[in-house]
Amino acid sequence: MTQFITAVLTSLSSGAIYALMAIAIVLVWRSTRVINFAQAGQAVLTTYIGYTVIQRTGSFWLALVVAVISGAVIGAVIDRFFMRPIFKRVKSGPIVMIAPVVATLGLLGIIQAIIGFVWGITNQSIEAPVSTGGYKIMGTVIAFSSYNLLVLVFVAVAMLLLTLLFQRTNVGLALRASAYSPEIAKLSGIKVDSVRTLGWALAGAFGGLAGMLYIPGYFLYPNAMDLLLVLGFIAAVIGGLESLFGAFAGGMVLGFAIIFSTTYISPKLFFPTAFIVLIIVLLVKPAGLFAPKKSRGA
Amino acid sequence: MKKAGKVHKPTTTRKRLLLFVLFGWLLLILGDRVGELELYQGSFVATYALAITSVVLLTGYSGQLSLGQSALMAVGAYAGALSIFNAGWHPVIGLIMSALIAGVFGLILGLVAARLSGPYLAGTTLALAISLPTLANQFPILGAEEGIAFDVGPAPARFGEDFSQYKWFFWISALASLIMVFFIVNLLSSRYGRTFKAVRDNPVAAQLSGINVEQLKVSAFAISSGVAGLSGGLLVMLISGVSPSAFPLSLSFSLLGAAVVTGLYNLKGVILGGLVLVAIPEIADSLVSRIGGSDNLTTVLPGFLVSALLILAVVFTPNGPGHLLKKHH
Amino acid sequence: MIRNKSMKRATLASAIVATSAMVLSIVPAQANSTGVTATSIKLGVSTPLTGSAGLVYGKVPGAMRAYFDYINANGGVNGRKISLVIRDDKYLPTLAATQTTNLILKDKVFALVGALGTATHSKAYTAAALAKNNVPDLFINTGFSGFANKTKYPTTFMVLPTYNMEAKVMAKVIKDNFPGQATFMLAQDDEFGADGVAGFTTAGHKFTATPTLYPQGTMTAARAEGALTALGAVPGKPVLVLFGTTDVTATLLKAAEKLELTKKFTFLAGSVGADANTLLALGVKPTTIDGVISASFLPDAKDLTDPYVKQFIDINTRYNKGITFDNYVLAGMNSAMLTVQALRAAGKNLTRAGLMSAIEAKGSTFASAGLVPLGYSATSRVGYNGYWVSQLNAQGEGKPYGGKLVIYTTDSGAGAVEISTFVRPTMPKNGIPTNS
Repeated sequence: MTQFITAVLTSLSSGAIYALMAIAIVLVWRSTRVINFAQAGQAVLTTYIGYTVIQRTGSFWLALVVAVISGAVIGAVIDRFFMRPIFKRVKSGPIVMIAPVVATLGLLGIIQAIIGFVWGITNQSIEAPVSTGGYKIMGTVIAFSSYNLLVLVFVAVAMLLLTLLFQRTNVGLALRASAYSPEIAKLSGIKVDSVRTLGWALAGAFGGLAGMLYIPGYFLYPNAMDLLLVLGFIAAVIGGLESLFGAFAGGMVLGFAIIFSTTYISPKLFFPTAFIVLIIVLLVKPAGLFAPKKSRGA
Repeated sequence: MKKAGKVHKPTTTRKRLLLFVLFGWLLLILGDRVGELELYQGSFVATYALAITSVVLLTGYSGQLSLGQSALMAVGAYAGALSIFNAGWHPVIGLIMSALIAGVFGLILGLVAARLSGPYLAGTTLALAISLPTLANQFPILGAEEGIAFDVGPAPARFGEDFSQYKWFFWISALASLIMVFFIVNLLSSRYGRTFKAVRDNPVAAQLSGINVEQLKVSAFAISSGVAGLSGGLLVMLISGVSPSAFPLSLSFSLLGAAVVTGLYNLKGVILGGLVLVAIPEIADSLVSRIGGSDNLTTVLPGFLVSALLILAVVFTPNGPGHLLKKHH
Repeated sequence: MIRNKSMKRATLASAIVATSAMVLSIVPAQANSTGVTATSIKLGVSTPLTGSAGLVYGKVPGAMRAYFDYINANGGVNGRKISLVIRDDKYLPTLAATQTTNLILKDKVFALVGALGTATHSKAYTAAALAKNNVPDLFINTGFSGFANKTKYPTTFMVLPTYNMEAKVMAKVIKDNFPGQATFMLAQDDEFGADGVAGFTTAGHKFTATPTLYPQGTMTAARAEGALTALGAVPGKPVLVLFGTTDVTATLLKAAEKLELTKKFTFLAGSVGADANTLLALGVKPTTIDGVISASFLPDAKDLTDPYVKQFIDINTRYNKGITFDNYVLAGMNSAMLTVQALRAAGKNLTRAGLMSAIEAKGSTFASAGLVPLGYSATSRVGYNGYWVSQLNAQGEGKPYGGKLVIYTTDSGAGAVEISTFVRPTMPKNGIPTNS
């Protein structure tokens, strides 16, 4: 029974972490149809910036704010000065799918090299802002801490805010319109380029948040979020890539599937589970769990 | 360099064969004139060129994006190694098994893949690439991390005393790659092959004109997997054995990058792609050792340079260097 | 036609590019003292500098180089200065194969020293034809017992005791000190864990449950909490054997902190996974580290009373600027010190074959920081063949377990674990070997 409760609780906390990354990936995908592999680098870079702030001031919360803002700036800069020129040259055919992948991978390498140069290739750690000790319920310590709760709350709140932004504001409308059909959006007077950059900035900010929330439960090094990026991407695909709720759900599905298969069947199933879940979901729903009715494809 | 190829006059198979033989002969002569290291590097160029061919075939010709080429190479590598090491078969059979088993594996995967578009396929193949190598550790027959030897043996005695192992590697990988690429080029210029492009460029129109799009995508996936499998077999021949960590996700990514450098829409540049994969880290390494500098810098600089080149290639020649030569199409 | 021509041109162009890109170099007939001149000896190492493995082991080659620099500043070896070519293989077999081949064919090193990793080095060994060229492959940083196989790796000399030995020593420690307690094992799912499990089996130790083997990179915080929850219900104070890397040990210890189980278990961490500095840097609380038992063959890097450690710290300060001294730096310098003695023992007329037979003949008498004996002989390529058992305190210092230094020796096979009276050779003056 304890084992089962722990499995549920740790599934929740892993799911929340996967969801963090999945949401950042979905934000970029929605705005520019790009799978941003540099997200892992951007998020780690902003976390290093946050880490430096903590070193200087000792305040996690200030660091969080700085990380989120710098994440947004870095995201915007990447889109404006990097992705946009590429899309000016790449217009049709399979290269449209592959060029952004290769470009963002290259960017990932560059960011990680810069981190290695500035901060060195060593392990660092960030102390969590709240207790990481498990809650005590009726004398038993459970595998769920204030820190886990904090991550979960942040994911939920961020998702809510983003949904409101997308559904209730003009900016959100513009974001959705330019993702759905850039041509029509342009005709209706939306500055498509700026709106796309905004999408990247939002994702960058979210990546900063993701890093600052994830790293205290892990360690900080240049490749710290590589695996998370891969799992976050798989979670985003499970969720259908389009919807924020889908990303959250995808993260949770992946979290539960991995924890339960590794707990009850074999620890060796960690990665195969990700593959199996994805295949099952896509065989049933080829565009993910929460794809809009009319699939827009790539 | 602005000669436009507007007239489509398909090269006949015979002419092409002649060209390949000529090229092979050129390589042969070249092989006698360079040192051991160059032969070894040349073998990698041939092997990677073949792997890039599989990417170009799949993505450039049939419009499917796979991040799992490394996994398919692993399948081919293990199939070949088991055939040679465990079953005791002739290395040639081993390499054929590499292509065959990976092809069958790709066929099954392709049946799933054909249902998926762009990023969904990318996600699925990515998940495959990270999960397949960890599975290899589960079966004792696959030899865990030390892996199983992939030994093609020394060159036949009749080639003489001076015929080194590296030259033998070069011959095998260059010949295998040439044969495979020849086969693919012919396939692509056949009537069947041309339908690939039709489907890629306009699936709806292709479907309307009676082409079975799904079937075509599946066969492209299977063939591409077979090509990747052979290159996987060659790769582990060059490193003398197979183990799960020889096929990391980063290998898939490197191949994609090289395919972009090569140009996604034709096979002419695959050698260039292979050359880039081999030469860039070398250049970066030697550049770094020349400038010296602080340790942090020298450690990260090669990675930086490789990534920077990748980006430059995408920004400046997203359609490959061949695109610059051709004005049209 | 035109298409055909342009194709031909493209092909030709590629061929020309290919040719010109390759810097021509002609390999001389394999002289037995390649890489040695009257004034220099060139050594090489292929090892991870970047990526996750570089994070942990990246300091080792730099430490070796620092020690060589120190020796060079003090006259070198027989008037020859030692240089070390370091190539990054990112812990990838393919890169290890090409980088090692580069070391042999391009850099033309005399010998390799300190290659790291099982999957990587087993490939590199054959691909770079080390056996065929008779290239000494010194003091490799892996404890995989397979490398001691002289038929398969005729030029390889191990330095780390094997993972089997470690497991056997641990089994004895458990038997002697924790009789009747439940025992569990969490191990990395590769040859490292497999060798460990095999060692326990050989020693006749039976775990309370089948050892848990997890693939590298999958022991996340959540998984660690799950694993410890299950074991937390076991009565008594179970012994938990951790056969993984230090980051995994850190993750497990943090999970224990979270679940308030740090005092519930006796943690027995393998030598690969118990670097105190790293554990502290990864955010494990000092009180949690306090009491962790580990096995080692070198003295503790924080033990300033040890003359070798003191000397190495001094060298590190002077020749390895900006690098914090820890167990990895210590291990690197120690291997370098063995290398210098091997080069000295091979005499003024340095050849590859001579170097290897010198280690076989005299290697077991080399002075080193190691607290356990070296096993080199005409028939054995095993380096250190045992362990002492240490216990970390809250400062991260490893003190002899039970208050008294006990040295255990054993082999990788069925041999018993014995208590040895070995006393290591006194350190040569200023850490500069004078042997011959």
